[in-house]
Amino acid sequence: MRIILHNIIHGLLLILGVTLISFLLMVWFGPDQTYTLIGKNATASQIMEVRHELNYDQPFMRRYLDYLVELFTLDLGASNSSGEQVNSILRRTLPVSLALMLPGFIIGNLLGIVLGLIAAFRKGTWSDRLITGLSVTGMSISFLIIIIGLQVLLSTPYGLNLFPVRGWQVEDLSSYLAYVTVPTLSLILVTLGYNTRFYRAVFIEESSREHIRTARAFGASPATLMWRHVLKNSLVPITTRIMFSIPLVVISGSLLIESYFGIPGIGKVSFDAITSGDQPILKAVVGLTAVIFVLIQIATDFIYRLVDPRIS
Amino acid sequence: MKNLSFRVPLLVLLLALGACNGGDQSTSTEISHSVYRHSMDGAPNNLDPARSSNIYANFLVVNLYDTLYRYKYLARPYQLEPNLAENLPEISADGLTYTIRIKPDVYFIDDLAFPESKGRLVSAQDFVYSIKRHFDPQTRAQGAWLWQNRIVGLDDWKANGSDYKQEITGLRALDGRTIQIQLISPYPQLVHTLTQGFSAIVPREAVEYYGRELAIHPVGSGPYRLLSFNTAGAVMVRNSDFRQEPFSLENEGYDPASQSRYGLEHLEGLTPPFMDRIEVEFIGEDAARWNAFIAGELDFVKAPVSQFDQVLESRNPLVLKPELAENFHFQATLESGFVHTDFNMDDPRIGYHPNPETNARNKALRCAISKAFDWEKRNEIFYYGIGQVFPGIIPPVAPEFNPDQDRTSIIRDLKAARELLKSHGWTADKLPDLEIGFTSSVTERQMFEQFRSFMADIGYPRGKIHPLTFASYGDYAQAYLNREVMLMTIGWTMDYPDAENTIQLFYGPNATPGSNTANYNNEEFNRLFRDSSTMLASPARTEMYRKMNQIVIEDCVTISGISRKMILLWNRDIAMLPDRSFLGGHFFRFAGPGKANFKNRQEE
Repeated sequence: MRIILHNIIHGLLLILGVTLISFLLMVWFGPDQTYTLIGKNATASQIMEVRHELNYDQPFMRRYLDYLVELFTLDLGASNSSGEQVNSILRRTLPVSLALMLPGFIIGNLLGIVLGLIAAFRKGTWSDRLITGLSVTGMSISFLIIIIGLQVLLSTPYGLNLFPVRGWQVEDLSSYLAYVTVPTLSLILVTLGYNTRFYRAVFIEESSREHIRTARAFGASPATLMWRHVLKNSLVPITTRIMFSIPLVVISGSLLIESYFGIPGIGKVSFDAITSGDQPILKAVVGLTAVIFVLIQIATDFIYRLVDPRIS
Repeated sequence: MKNLSFRVPLLVLLLALGACNGGDQSTSTEISHSVYRHSMDGAPNNLDPARSSNIYANFLVVNLYDTLYRYKYLARPYQLEPNLAENLPEISADGLTYTIRIKPDVYFIDDLAFPESKGRLVSAQDFVYSIKRHFDPQTRAQGAWLWQNRIVGLDDWKANGSDYKQEITGLRALDGRTIQIQLISPYPQLVHTLTQGFSAIVPREAVEYYGRELAIHPVGSGPYRLLSFNTAGAVMVRNSDFRQEPFSLENEGYDPASQSRYGLEHLEGLTPPFMDRIEVEFIGEDAARWNAFIAGELDFVKAPVSQFDQVLESRNPLVLKPELAENFHFQATLESGFVHTDFNMDDPRIGYHPNPETNARNKALRCAISKAFDWEKRNEIFYYGIGQVFPGIIPPVAPEFNPDQDRTSIIRDLKAARELLKSHGWTADKLPDLEIGFTSSVTERQMFEQFRSFMADIGYPRGKIHPLTFASYGDYAQAYLNREVMLMTIGWTMDYPDAENTIQLFYGPNATPGSNTANYNNEEFNRLFRDSSTMLASPARTEMYRKMNQIVIEDCVTISGISRKMILLWNRDIAMLPDRSFLGGHFFRFAGPGKANFKNRQEE
């Protein structure tokens, strides 16, 4: 109970800190939307009108307190650009981003774990060098190149022309697979190198521990060593990596993937809000990310205890 | 063999992912001939007509709502055509009173905003209400500038609190179908403003029902209604109750000599809108837009400059590559606007100075910089050499453009530039630091570096020319509208085919935060502008416009200009003539299936 209370208080302070700093950045360094919302030949009084409508003429602390109230009541207002309610934007775009990012996220991590295990157990052999080399190569190629390359290769008459170049007209499993495959492949290709190298390092560290040598001495098979001893005992860093990537998957989406594949997710909405200074959307995205981080931190603490009873 | 070895492992990978759905996929990339799939290189900001301030929003708004007027589909130069209005307006002899009758039996689409969700008759009162909204601060409208200080009582209505119950003398509905507009002084461009999305007619019920979300729930009486809208695209379906007005090639200004190749003849006599569904994709990324078009997922594309090498067989004359010409129609069209780099005349280092001698030196410096600017290279490197460079501020697409205008101001003359600097005592150490403003992007930075290299040729030290970069266009606009940028490059899209729209960019009273970003203020120019602003199109007015153009050139206020050429490609299966000029979009209703597909459709 004490731990839960501690986590909640810690989480609330974190939310206050994150929202305050990000709001400060938005207000003082973010784009001023006034000048994109005024018409041509605007007069000084019309500029003041728009500033008033946007609440720019209110004191900073008043605006910040309004923001906290909006966040805690989940009444996030409407986008200054499109006029759409922020709640409705989130309802519309979050499921799309989740459906888009989850397959790549899951497959990318699973493959990373498998390749990391193989590389760690065959450390120094040709298969380790091959996996490490390919990982570094994958990390070196720009995400943009991967996206455009796969688009040309898989979706145009210059290549195999198997999938749609862009769009998201998902009606059933078959159309979902058609639209999600190329973005998923792009995501896997770009993240696999990082995942593999991270997991390889974790597994190598775990393999060098005394209990692994003991298990070896007892004659444990490589499979038993890998799955039962190394993987199981590496679950804490694996959990940390996966859990703390979730907010990015849920909220941030992927701007490049959404833009190039024409997918109406939260990534593009967030990017447009950042570049245009659409504060109602930015406030919602920042606030929700902070809340999700806190929830994940609490959940991660529980998972740690499940996978490693030594943690108290 | 090479291809096979490459594809097999790839296919294995795809099959392993379980994602390859062969048969179904082919249907999604095939063309459905009652669907027109359009691409745009940007996205609409808002679908509320009062806030539809960008060209992309206008494209959708004029199809979802009705405007009183539009331009004839095929006539070039552009000609006004009644849309919701029955005829062109009756104008009083003094040019101050416009009377407009709207067509009978036009209905808004069925929508939840109406009692029993049944669309009601469009009335003259709706037009009055729609214009009033621009003067209500609650609307956050962006089109008020079109009618500001023009219509009797409209500005006072706003000053008195924008009370919709209050009548306005100059903007009235005489009866259900008759609108009367009384102007403060003649405003020859008024009818042009009534073609724009800003003037589209919205029902009050929808504004009250949806509030700010009218931006995503359009309720109009246009040829299409919105089915879906998000950051990636919009889908519109035919408004089955749209008025029956048979298509007439002659009435739309058809020119067989230049337009017969587009295959429009079989649409004669049919009733627009011709397509059941219009899918518009917003694709800012050039590569993605081009790939989607080539893959057959789009029927129309404005070819990205980066692809011109793949699109064009030759630049002069402009010829499409044969493999593309087989499948696509092609049109090379000049933008209805121009790009120009203005000097901030409010900056005493380069613009006006209280000391007449310094003032003259500053003018010499501006002229030297203009003369050192190499338009040929700018065009070659950034516009594929097919843009049209012209002198001054009246772009080629404007009816008042003078093709015989003296071109000295756009011809690079390094000798004259150096002489100007020398004769006015400008030496390398005395030259002021120049700050060039632009939004942060690779292309803008390249343009800046090119500018610096041009100036190096007249001895302007590179270290004295600085970039002033901004993260977003909003920041950049804020800076130049607050007169904080010394030199700024601006792209202007004309709102209507009348050079008044570009000349006003240099009218003194329009100085920033108005659209006169150069903060230019020349008495003679201002007088000519005031005098011409109440004149109808005539040779005398054209003469005055051209005089103003010459004044701006002689004062070296701006380095101008270039109109970019757009390469438009569209599927031969679609019979249409696309157009982006003057905000554009009205052509959607006339986009129809090509003759072959049309036959198939009839047989079905």
